Amino acid sequence: MDFVILSLVVLGIGIYGLLTNRNLLKVFISIELIAIAATLNFVTLTSSAGVGLGQAYLVLAFSTDTAVSAVILGLLVIVSRRYGTGDISQILKVVGKEEGEDEEQ
Amino acid sequence: MILEILTIGLIISACLALFLDDAVYSVAALAATFLFTALIYALDGAVFAAIFQFAVGVGTLTILFLSGELLSERAVKKTSSSKAFGLIGAGVVLSLPALFLSISGATSAGVSINFGDALWSLNGMDVILQGLVILTVALGIVIVLYERRNSGK
Repeated sequence: MDFVILSLVVLGIGIYGLLTNRNLLKVFISIELIAIAATLNFVTLTSSAGVGLGQAYLVLAFSTDTAVSAVILGLLVIVSRRYGTGDISQILKVVGKEEGEDEEQ
Repeated sequence: MILEILTIGLIISACLALFLDDAVYSVAALAATFLFTALIYALDGAVFAAIFQFAVGVGTLTILFLSGELLSERAVKKTSSSKAFGLIGAGVVLSLPALFLSISGATSAGVSINFGDALWSLNGMDVILQGLVILTVALGIVIVLYERRNSGK
């Protein structure tokens, strides 16, 4: 049982999802999985070293991750409300049409 | 034995969270991922980190459940049972390297340098991280206010 390999596998799943999914929600979930992989590595390394303060460092990492997640979620909600869809390819199409109309005017 | 079961559960739930079609099921699988991660932390001796992970996960998932329907298209088709079983099988296969392979020799060499001292001798790292948190929140507020002002025009 090796936690470093476990975190590598979770990181791989997250990166694969980030590259292949076109849905904004799935992209967010992929980012969460990547964050989980990073923090899992932190926890296992610090706990195997027997350093209690390492967990305090983790709290800061979690806080940063949560703040970033909140901002990302806010942006995703704004984008999906503005364009009416959560699909990245459709959003890009709408953005392209809007830019074309602006150039015509 | 419990750690192995939690490892398999973590990877299966991660696969399900990414590749299930329905948004609600996907977020529920992400909740399971958070729960398995917190349990692994607790069994590894990092109880404080486990509690914090659980608390943060609950908050994130609450917001995700609320906004999940907004962020996702209505599922045109439900996830077929064969696809779900395929995802579970893929999760089991992906968890095999973590169960049977080991690179602990390389990691223990790194730990002998005293990882904690290496981190905490850097004075101000916690201050920098807290500053990053505040900056991120401020950036988010600015973006939301800018969007609201533009939509009001």
